[in-house]
Amino acid sequence: MGYLKYLAFRIVNAIIVLLIVTFIISALFVKVAEESNKAAMFEELMNWDKTEGKIIKQTAGIEEYEKVKATKIEELRRKYELDVPYWEKVINKAIRTLELDFGTTKMPIFGTNNVSKIIRVALPRSVVLFTTATIITIILGLFLGVRAARHAGSVFDRALSVFALLTYSLPMWWTGMMFILIFAYKFGLFPMSSMFEPNDTLIDRIHKLALPVLTYVFVAFGGWAWTTRNIMIGTLQEDFIMAARAKGVPEHKIIYGHALRAAAPPIVTMVIFALLGSLGGAIISELVFNYPGMGRLYWVALQQNETNLLIGLTYFFTVLYLSGVVLADMVYGFLDPRVKVGASAKM
Amino acid sequence: MRWVDIKEGFKEFLDEFKREKTGIAGVVLLVILVLVALTAPQTTIPDLPTKWRNSQYWEENPKNVPPTWYNMFTSQKLMPHLVYTLNDPDVNVVTQDKDTIITVNYNVPENYYYGPQGIIINGFNVTLNSPIGVPTISVYLIRPDGDKVLLVKDKELSSDVTIAVGRDSEISKMIYMWLVYKTTGQNITPLDVPLQTILINDMIAPLFADLTGATGPDEVIENPKPLWGTYKLEIVIHQPRPVNEVNYDNIKITFLGRTYGTMGTDYLGRDLWAGLIWGSRVSITIGILVSILQTIIGLIYGVTSAYLGGNADEFMMRINEIFASIPSLPILILIGATAGHITLWFIVALLVIFGWMGIARISRSMALQIKEQTYIEAAKALGAGNGRIIFKHILPQLLPYAFAVIALSVPGAVIAEASLSFLGIGDPTAVTWGQILNAAQNQAATTKGYWWWVIPPGLGIAVVGLTFVLIGTALDKILNPRLRRL
Repeated sequence: MGYLKYLAFRIVNAIIVLLIVTFIISALFVKVAEESNKAAMFEELMNWDKTEGKIIKQTAGIEEYEKVKATKIEELRRKYELDVPYWEKVINKAIRTLELDFGTTKMPIFGTNNVSKIIRVALPRSVVLFTTATIITIILGLFLGVRAARHAGSVFDRALSVFALLTYSLPMWWTGMMFILIFAYKFGLFPMSSMFEPNDTLIDRIHKLALPVLTYVFVAFGGWAWTTRNIMIGTLQEDFIMAARAKGVPEHKIIYGHALRAAAPPIVTMVIFALLGSLGGAIISELVFNYPGMGRLYWVALQQNETNLLIGLTYFFTVLYLSGVVLADMVYGFLDPRVKVGASAKM
Repeated sequence: MRWVDIKEGFKEFLDEFKREKTGIAGVVLLVILVLVALTAPQTTIPDLPTKWRNSQYWEENPKNVPPTWYNMFTSQKLMPHLVYTLNDPDVNVVTQDKDTIITVNYNVPENYYYGPQGIIINGFNVTLNSPIGVPTISVYLIRPDGDKVLLVKDKELSSDVTIAVGRDSEISKMIYMWLVYKTTGQNITPLDVPLQTILINDMIAPLFADLTGATGPDEVIENPKPLWGTYKLEIVIHQPRPVNEVNYDNIKITFLGRTYGTMGTDYLGRDLWAGLIWGSRVSITIGILVSILQTIIGLIYGVTSAYLGGNADEFMMRINEIFASIPSLPILILIGATAGHITLWFIVALLVIFGWMGIARISRSMALQIKEQTYIEAAKALGAGNGRIIFKHILPQLLPYAFAVIALSVPGAVIAEASLSFLGIGDPTAVTWGQILNAAQNQAATTKGYWWWVIPPGLGIAVVGLTFVLIGTALDKILNPRLRRL
């Protein structure tokens, strides 16, 4: 199988998966919306019963009341879209979502009702926070990991491994709470809430971003360094490294020229997924820092029962993940020629 | 495999494991954790989950106070929690005519600040046989400087009466009036008391403060200087007619501490140490259960997919990809938020459903290699069925890998459970670390500096995670020297 054919196969595959997932998401969210609409309709009907309905019952008699009530129910069912069959709604919703027509929200968020516009406001914020943090983490992690691999078994290597194991078991949001406690409450170095205010200057915003970025880097770089170290140690034991050493290639060149290039495919995959994952923000961490990005937006949408926004965001996250998969496949095929061979393409 | 082989292999494995220091550390930690979790009812409060959300149960505890050992690290020492009963040597009962006077000696030693957080008097047993001549209660506090402060005057007494100094605004008014009189010499009526001041501020600290040199009540309220020495709480019960009996045997006088127990209390006065110990049960159980289940499912799924091959393999991998593409945390939150009453089993099921995909992929690629071995072909030639080949010949090969994966995926499961609880999606009949942190977040504990509420549950999560990471990496080193970098 050629590279292009392989790539086309992966893309078609991703699109099929996306179609099915969109359908599942629509089915799930429409179901939830239907439940809440039913409750809302019932409540409105009860209210009508207590006010207008009571007057009609007293003045026009019970028969007239039943008739008016029936039309009222009909009207309410139409208002809450309960007259359309469930599956029809699901299919409509799925198709509209695939056409990127997410609709509007009931309440304005960030000053607009348009779901696409809301996402466009929140997305850059998550990018600024998490993508910055991810890039810092990757650079730091790669650098430290390579260093640890070069001096495997040294004090530095051991300390890094212990640190990585420790931070692997820490929830990021709890670390965030800790950092707020220590750096914002105790030492007053950072603001307690990272919510943006309309008249914030650039310095203010950077100040508000600093603590979340610090938290992310602190929790994540150990794991990166450790994984890089393990991959590098494996690569450094390969024969071609020994051959390069025997040839007298400088150590610096062996590490960064030979070993890192051979270790690149898994690392690049990790980088792609980390960067794409950062676009979605982190729901709980953003809640802890009160940071107005994608993650917190999802939570707000859930609290306010904004089905359209929820579907839009979930669709966005799914597309991100799948494009990550395709991108990783692409890069993998590019960096590791063996992938092009039919047998391993199936692996 | 024969039984002897298994025994031999296990012995060999044990010998190797003993040489892994990190693994041994992990096992020791695990044993300690399991012991702590199992003995929770004995070492702390039995049946805690049923009491945890009952705010009445925690009424006699101080609220939002740090642990007792905090005093070791601060020069401004804080009073511990003290409960007096009738048998206490510091409690005296004197009966004169129709009055019974109960005095409690309460010592505020030097370097201790602010006095108690409040005083609670309850446990009276009153039998009313006649509506006339109901017994009444008055409460005074005699300070070391000789002042006698009236806190409660002639309140009618019944069995359910609780005097709560520090929580009852009427008593706070009395304290404010006394404070005004002592600092300015003016006599004011209860109507003159600024409600704002007494509701927001701590009115107990001024009661236990040195008033010399103060020129107004606000000065003392804002910056109470401690007055050290022995205080006397005087409870006077007036019994006009002996027909109405008052029994004091169960009376309890609680001086609410400014510190409490091993881990302090939260906003309801709940004992956080007990919550922490009980929380370990949920964390460990869910962590192990979820990781075992998702590993088993992933393993069987991956191996089956690889073994069947062809279209069945393609189909199974598409389903795997679909599950992997659904953003799991948002969907978990959605399902949790709409499911109504959530049990721990439901959370386990959710975490398993959204957690088996990675293991399935890896075990599939491993099984693809094993599948090509000649002994599989031989088994097929002998007429072995698919089930037999998968379960008898391929899966056992992957078992070492499975054990390491189980250990290594526990931290993720623990964090996922805590995350859901933290968002308020959890079993309301259980006490979990995530729920404790959820309450802390809702009460803005971080921005108020209540470290004893925020740090321990997270450390608990970290310790459970670390335990299994240590075991997992040790297992990984021993069992999969070749497969390690897959």
